Parts: sequence; C-alpha cells; structure tokens
Amino acid sequence: MADQGGSNHGIARTSRTRTEEQRQKDLERIKDYRALEDQVRHHAAKNDYSSDVFALTSKLLRLNPEYYTVWNVRRRCLISGLLSKPSPGSSPSKALPTSSPTATTTTSSADFSSSLSTETPPAPESQTTGKSGITAEDDEEQKQQTRQQDQQNDQQILQKELHFTIPLLLESPKCYWIWSYRLWILKQVIERLPVPVARNIWEEELGLTSKMLLRDQRNFHAWGYRRHVVEQLESPELEGKSLVESEFEFTTKKISQNLSNFSAWHSRSKLIPRLLDERNANDEARKAFFEEELNKIGEAINVGPDDQSLWYYHQFLMLNLVNSAEHPTIAPAFTQEERVTYLRREIESIQELLEDYDDAKLIYEALFDYTLYLCQLQGRKPNEQEEKDLKGWLGNLKKLDPMRSGRWADLERDLGLKE
Amino acid sequence: MQPNPIQASTHRTTHKTLKFSNMTQSFTSLPQELQLATSAHVKYIQSLDSRKDEYDYWLTEHLRLNGLYWGLTALHLLGHPEALPRAETIDFVLSCQHENGGFGAAPGHDAHMLSTVSAVQILAMVDAFDDLETRGRGKAQVGKYIASLQNRQTGTFAGDEWGEEDTRFLYGAFNALSLLGLLHLVDVDKAVDHIAACANFDGGYGVSPGAESHSGQIFTCVAALTIAGRKELIDVDRLGRWLSERQIAGGGLNGRPEKKEDVCYSWWVLSSLEMIGKTHWIDKAKLTSFILSSQDTDKGGISDRPGDMVDVWHTCFGIAGLSLLDYPGLEPVDEVYCMPKSTIKRVLGR
Repeated sequence: MADQGGSNHGIARTSRTRTEEQRQKDLERIKDYRALEDQVRHHAAKNDYSSDVFALTSKLLRLNPEYYTVWNVRRRCLISGLLSKPSPGSSPSKALPTSSPTATTTTSSADFSSSLSTETPPAPESQTTGKSGITAEDDEEQKQQTRQQDQQNDQQILQKELHFTIPLLLESPKCYWIWSYRLWILKQVIERLPVPVARNIWEEELGLTSKMLLRDQRNFHAWGYRRHVVEQLESPELEGKSLVESEFEFTTKKISQNLSNFSAWHSRSKLIPRLLDERNANDEARKAFFEEELNKIGEAINVGPDDQSLWYYHQFLMLNLVNSAEHPTIAPAFTQEERVTYLRREIESIQELLEDYDDAKLIYEALFDYTLYLCQLQGRKPNEQEEKDLKGWLGNLKKLDPMRSGRWADLERDLGLKE
Repeated sequence: MQPNPIQASTHRTTHKTLKFSNMTQSFTSLPQELQLATSAHVKYIQSLDSRKDEYDYWLTEHLRLNGLYWGLTALHLLGHPEALPRAETIDFVLSCQHENGGFGAAPGHDAHMLSTVSAVQILAMVDAFDDLETRGRGKAQVGKYIASLQNRQTGTFAGDEWGEEDTRFLYGAFNALSLLGLLHLVDVDKAVDHIAACANFDGGYGVSPGAESHSGQIFTCVAALTIAGRKELIDVDRLGRWLSERQIAGGGLNGRPEKKEDVCYSWWVLSSLEMIGKTHWIDKAKLTSFILSSQDTDKGGISDRPGDMVDVWHTCFGIAGLSLLDYPGLEPVDEVYCMPKSTIKRVLGR
C-alpha cells in the first residue's frame, strides 16, 4: 500500500551496530514509551476517555505522531466528555445557509442557530407564549447561557487542539495522521461554533498552509489541505464566497518565488477555468489572459528550458488550442485561424531557443508535439518540410535522451518516420 | 529463533532459468554490489521481528501488518516464501482482527483500511482464507467492513470511521474485495467516476479531484481501473509519457516532476507503465542498476537511494520492481496487486 509512514527517506546509512551504552539508552526509552502506551491502552480498553487519558495521548503523540490509534483515542476523549454534546437542532451546521446573525433575530423557533452569536442574543419576550410564560423565559435564558458557555469551552478546546498539532506538523510535515486529525478538529469547529467564529478559525488555516509551503514548496499534503480549506471557506456552511482570485494570486506568488514549482503551475491550471468564468471574462479578456499566460511561461522557459514543470504548463496552454471539446478552455471563441497562428508562433519562438540551447531535449519534444498539434488542428498529415523537421527532432531526441529510446522508436513507427 | 530456511531452499523454477538465460548472462557480469543479495535480504526480513531492543521497532508498531505484507511479498518474490513461519503469520494476522471485520495494525490498534488490505493480501499469499472463515470473523465480515467505508455520494473510500479520503483507500478496497470475491458489495461505477474526476491534463491522477498528479496515486488509480475492467478511461499515451519522464539521470525514478529519485517509485511508476503496456519507454537496465546499488549487500535490505538507511518498505518495492524488470531468479510479480503472480492465479484463477 502507498503509505510511506515509517519508511526511511533520505537518512544516511550508518553502521547498524550499537555500543552497549547506546543499547541501554534505547532500552530505557523503550521502557518509558511502552509504559505510557500501556497506560493509554489500559484506559481505552475500559472505555475511559477522561481528561487524564487525554493528557496521556498528548505525551504519547509527541513521541510518536504516526500512532493513529492514539489520535483516535484523543478524538474519543473529546467527543465523549471534553466537548459539549451537540443537542439536536442546535448545531450551527444545520443552520440555513442564509441565516446570518443579524437577519434572523426575530425568528422564534426551535432552531437556535441564529442566536448562537454573542453579538445578537434573541429577544426572549418574542419567544415566550403560553401558560407558564415566566418559567419558560427563565428556562430559555438559562439554556441560552449554558449554550454560550458550552461554545466558549468548545472553542477553547478546539483552538488548543489546533495549536497542539502545529509543532508536530512542523516536525513531520508528511504525516498523514496529523493532517487528517487537524481537519477533523476543524470539522468540529463548524459543527459546534457560530459561523463567524468558525470562519475566522478556518481562515487562519490558509496562513498555516502558506507557512508549510514556504518550508517545502512541493509538499502535496499542504497543497491538498489548502485546496480543502479553500473549498470549505467558499461553502455556504461558512457563508463563504469564491476565493478563486486570491488563490490564483497565491500561485502567482509561489511561481515568482521559484519558477520550478509544478505544484503551483498545476494549481493554476485548475483555477483558470473558474477564474475566467467568475470574472465574466468576454472573448477579448480571455484572449488577453491567454496571451499573458503564454508570455509568462515563455519568459520562464527562456531561462529554464530543461525544467519539466514549465513545459507541462506550456503544454496545458497549447492543449487549450487543440482540445477545445474535451477541456474547459481558456478561450473557446478563438477562431481556427487564431489557433493556427498561436501554434505557429510558439513553434517559431521555441525554434529560436535552439540557438542558445541545442542540447535541451524538452525543446525538441515540444517542437515535435506542437507540429503534430498543428496538423491535428488542420486535419492533415505533416507536409514535406514538417516531416523533415519531425525526423530531425526525433533524431536529436534519440541522441540526447537514449533512456527513452523505446518511446522514440514507437513514435517513429507510429508516424511512419522511419527512413 | 526460526529455522534457517535460506540455505535449505535454493531451488529455482526451470522455466524461469530458461526464459532468463540470456539476461542472466548479462546480469552475472555485473560487479558484486550490482548482484541481488538474496540471502542477505532474506535474513534482513527475518530479523525484523526480533529487533525488540530497538526503539524504532516500537515506534513503527502502527505499521506491523503492512510491514508483514511488505516483508512476506519480498520473500515470496525472492523465492523464499517459507522464510517466515506460516502458522505464526496466520495467528498474528487473525489476532489483529476486530469484531467489525476490519484489521488493526497490531493487536490493540484500531481497524483501518490500510491494515485490513494488508491482512487480506497476507492471508491470500499464505493460502489461509479458510482460517479466516474458521478462526477469524470470515470473509463476509471483512467485505462488509470495507464496503462500509465507501462514500456512496462520491464513490471514493475513507481509511476508517474518522473519514480521511484518498484514492489509496479506493484502490485498497478494490484490491482486497476482489481477492475476497466481494467486489459486488460496493458501487464500482461510482468509484470509477471518482477516479475519472481525479485525472489531470498531464494524463496522471491525484489524491482527490483537483490534486496534482503523483506516481503513487497514479498507481492506485490505474490499478483500481484495471481491477474494475475500465482501462479504456486512461489516456495511455499522455500518461505513458508522463510516467516515462520520471526516470532521471541516475536511472532511478521520481514521483513527480523535478523531484529526487526514490526506489519505491520503481514500483509505482513501473507497475503503472506495465498496466498500460509501456515499460519499454524507460531504460530498464539503468533502473535495475539503480535499485541494485541501493541495496545494503552486507546486512540486507534496500533503501530509497544509494547509501541511505534501508527499510522493509523500500526492500519490498525494490524487489517487486526488479521482478517486473525480469531480474533473473525472482518470482514474477503481479503488477496490479503487488503480490506473486502465482498467488493471484490461485486466488482469482487468472
């Protein structure tokens, strides 16, 4: 299975023999670790999820954040005592998406979601009818108070949990279990806290992922986590609105920090269709956007023609010209003529690159591909000159990249380019 | 201590010897460090459960069942399936099972998809589904547990009751359920739709829709599609190109563009190429030397790259990679299940 936890990556091989002193030290550590582990298991086996057990899990998880069962014990501690019991109907997540703290103060119903905000306590008068008006009112007020206390308590605990995982994440940024525990906590935030509070907490997660991606720009856990956070922040549950502009901006920033960040280019490719839709971009704006992207990647390739990250993104743009039916395209209204012109222009400027970099194999590959795209677009076979070019480029590919000779041979055969 | 079966069993199947006679010749001319150190690897794997005086042994208990699967797979491919005692293996696996049918990583650990899949794979390799029926909680219960983890809305799978979703779990579910003959318990079409939604313009697949292509996830998605009989959804040419570009100068494969090479990708990338019929798009000889040079020929085991610490994970996927590369003397590995072909033939009859 594809779980990399516990395997060694990038740790230098050392002699595997220990001195007796080292061995004794290990035995001590093992004794302490196992004693702690036994305690946690002992309590968990009796379904004891008290705050004492909770404290033990903190100790154990700091020693071993990969111990998924202990994360689960911790979750059980939270839901079976430390956090309030969500009463039916009181969960903010069950609130109507449109309910805002100010809009529903006069609603009198069993749905208290709108009154969860501390800013706008409901007017109890409007909710008390019937024979025992005073009692119901007091009762209601008390319930309200309890609820607020519960929420404050929950908020404190949940924020503490978020803090607890930070040093662990910094130390083990690729540990699946920590990331998923953190998301689970954030789910509790939505279920238990008023929307504005929950939203603030979720917004801070963007900062965390930015920090993690500064330390490792390709960490796919952090990128995936960020996508998830954005999705939640955009959702009605958090009264969200689109973040596509700021996320696009984020990829621009990451790319400007380091061009060779395919994770950022990839993310860009995923955001663009939505970005243009939400901008209500007309044909002209789409064309301008396409050209801007093309210039941007062209400049990058000029300085890094051996960087696959850049060529993949370039290819993404070129596919927008040829595969209009398959993918949401940047500029669906491009005429055939425009598409052909763009492709020809790219082929020409890539050929110019060869003057400086005649040993960059990715250049030959791009020329090869895009010439075929051009033929595909025009529904024709390569002409005589193109065929000559293709053969020449393929010759260079074979020479420069013998590791993939099988692929070049297949291309040669499939396209009938054999001499 | 276990009996030492390494010396006792030096048999090689004749047809393999014949098939690889030419390759054997070229492989034996390699320098010493580029020969597969079979007996050192067998000893290394056998030693893994006797390292109870090492702190790491205890820190990795959450991977015990996975580790047993990795070790046992490597031993089977090395031609030493009996190097771990069968009865104890079965006892240990069954001792990890929970009432709900799922397996934890070790006794006292919660049930999880990853350990459940390893349990099923181990039981399949040692031909012990009968024991699961008579002494465990039975196939049906295992199937029920796995099926309960499918998200019926999106088709994907969670790792456990706490809800983390990933295409790794989807593949795991398909792997184990198909071995148990219980794939019908889940909504295969929905799961396939989910995989299709994970596809990217570069032909690869990610953890979830929108995620960057990653060789590990590509393996899970391509293998799941293969199990479902839906390979026609794969953009073979584009994916093949992307996968072949994972091979970098030293001959090793990386997991994503502009990343370092790593022995475990010898499996994720190579098996994916095998499933789409494109292993000839990389340089097999160079990859073979890269894996071999990552061995600890003295004490056994394989590491992520030459000179690093070995572990059973890289040992398994390095050897599985070598098997796919037709390294002489190894049992053929099934590219979809990462188990011996002979096991898959016995269980699935193909």
